[in-house]
Amino acid sequence: MTMAATSHDTPVETAAPSTRRQPDRTYWLLAPGVLWMLLFLVAPILMMVYVSFWTQTTFKIEPTLTLKSWITFFSSDTYLGALWTTVRIWLIVLVSTLLVGYPAALFVGLFVKNKTLSTALLVLCVIPFWTSFLIRVLAWRPMLGKEGAINMILMKLGIVTQPIEVLLFSELSVIIGMTQIYCVFMVGPIAFMLGRIDPSVIEAAQDLGASFWRIFRTIILPLSMPGVVVGAIFVSVMVLGEFATSAALSGRKVNLLGNIIVTQVGSLKWAFAAVAGVVLTILMGAVVAALLRVVDLRKEL
Amino acid sequence: MSAVLQLKNVHKAFAGVPALAGVDAALMDNSYVSLLGPSGSGKTTLLRVIAGFEQPDGGEILFAGRRIDGVPPHERGIGFVFQNFALFPHLSVAQNIAFGLENRAVAPVTDAKAVTARVRDMIGLVGLTGLEDRAVTQISGGQKQRVALARTLVTEPSMVLLDEPLGALDANLRTRMRGELRTIRERCGVTFLHVTGSETEALAMGDTVLVLDRGRIAQATDAGTLYSRPASADVARFLNCYNIFSGAVSGNVFESPVGRLALGGVRQASGRPAYAIRYDRVAIRPRDAAAAGDEVRIEASFVASEYSGAAINSFFTLDDGRVFEVETHLSHAAPEAFEEKARYALVWKREDALVFV
Ligand SMILES: Nc1ncnc2c1ncn2[C@@H]1O[C@H](COP(=O)(O)OP(=O)(O)OP(=O)(O)O)[C@@H](O)[C@H]1O
Ligand SMILES: [Mg+2]
Repeated sequence: MTMAATSHDTPVETAAPSTRRQPDRTYWLLAPGVLWMLLFLVAPILMMVYVSFWTQTTFKIEPTLTLKSWITFFSSDTYLGALWTTVRIWLIVLVSTLLVGYPAALFVGLFVKNKTLSTALLVLCVIPFWTSFLIRVLAWRPMLGKEGAINMILMKLGIVTQPIEVLLFSELSVIIGMTQIYCVFMVGPIAFMLGRIDPSVIEAAQDLGASFWRIFRTIILPLSMPGVVVGAIFVSVMVLGEFATSAALSGRKVNLLGNIIVTQVGSLKWAFAAVAGVVLTILMGAVVAALLRVVDLRKEL
Repeated sequence: MSAVLQLKNVHKAFAGVPALAGVDAALMDNSYVSLLGPSGSGKTTLLRVIAGFEQPDGGEILFAGRRIDGVPPHERGIGFVFQNFALFPHLSVAQNIAFGLENRAVAPVTDAKAVTARVRDMIGLVGLTGLEDRAVTQISGGQKQRVALARTLVTEPSMVLLDEPLGALDANLRTRMRGELRTIRERCGVTFLHVTGSETEALAMGDTVLVLDRGRIAQATDAGTLYSRPASADVARFLNCYNIFSGAVSGNVFESPVGRLALGGVRQASGRPAYAIRYDRVAIRPRDAAAAGDEVRIEASFVASEYSGAAINSFFTLDDGRVFEVETHLSHAAPEAFEEKARYALVWKREDALVFV
């Protein structure tokens, strides 16, 4: 914060042209990036918003402005259902990655004192990404299926008499799959923040008489919040835009906004796809803005 | 006065390398104890063992008559002030100070008013009034030091351990904080164990000074005695005010690398023979001046001198190439100008030298 203040003050305080020219020139370093973003990110998004108001007929699309696609989207049970499913699955996956990821991050970031070992453990978390998505999905089927490993074991042990069908091709399997894939994006930032906590701060709290749970609640958790928020942003943006996991693991039973866009584009319904795209973009923006409210990242990082 | 803390033959090794090799000490109640030792002598390790952050490999620690090795840190009632302060970075000054009262497992203070009142009193005691709501990342080093101290004192520990508490401060502030630490301690009436690597700090602050050398207490005494009668050549070396010669005693002379030094004063048993003469006991004379009968005289060439306030320190090289230091107090005489590389006689009284046998 102090840094930001000084860099704002500099041009006001130092009127000398020699010191002013320097920052002006350095802005050119941003030019390629800004140009790239304008051309390939901002312009296409604006284009998408524009297209969502075009007139869609069965075989072609015309640049005559209309609200028809928007009205169809918000009066259709299918689309609103997909929106609700997206939000629901996002919330569940967010909570489950946090529940699975936080303890793991706590172990790696705080209790492993050896820096090399904690880096090695973080790399271990990334190992699932060394296999392709398709192969992992393929591997889940014999695991979760009706005659899969989990059902066989449960039946052998006599815990269930009939195979549990919801394990595969259901919302549950989509949630299991997504949690597995995105958990590491939660672990990373949290472990990073926990690793930055000075061990003597925790010892000081111990010395002042606090028990472990007190220290966790009053020191460790607040100091790791920026990591939780960054992790939550990663997971949210990726889960909200998901379509592949649900397509592969739900047998088309679970339709997310992403799946709607894929099918609409597939049948050349550009205007509908654009409406879904705009809705999804707004949703992501709102989620990220809300998460950023939780912690003042600028102050914490 | 009785001993509040007793250490009996405390041992601690890290991966087989001893850091504490049998520490014995008794710390008096309501006193300021400084612990002096060179880097790596085990000062931090000793404090961490007393506070309970490290378990000793052997020996006994008695605190207020009770054995505490094995008791977890938060049940010991011993405060610890960390070298880097270790403040809670997400809490304000007042919240940092209130932390122990509100969150301790044993008898937490749940009444918010009582907490506020005690925090306010403590903030007044350490001189932080007006900074209550400031973030601890936005205060100066000296202020952080006070917060760290206040945070510990407010929990009313029976003893406070301070690990180089002034190490992170600049020289000016360090001198001022010395006085303040002593005043604060007197007002609280608890024992402070203050670790430092600086001999001036240890001598200025401690009612008792413990000297730690290679994991053992080499000497435990008051500042005056320590300064004039170090127990061994190693202790004399840490005090940074003695010229030390190694060699051997033969009859009435000490055989040193710079010649035979006549003996006069007391001899102390320390295991390793050495001859030590304090910087400020040496007089610099022209080369042709004769020495009196009770004096010891050596020759050396002048290198340079250095002012340090009321005194001037002159450096000479002896014939074996070693540096010899002389401290002259300017209240005694106007500074003399010595000629570089010229030879002078360095003279002191026989009985002023310390002889270790
Ligand atoms: N956690 C540890 N693991 C291994 N060795 C250690 C550990 N802590 C201390 N040591 C070793 O024990 C010895 C004493 O260390 P200690 O930190 O107590 O020294 P110190 O007197 O506090 O030094 P300084 O004045 O530099 O702080 C040193 O040789 C050090 O290398
Ligand atoms: Mg230390």
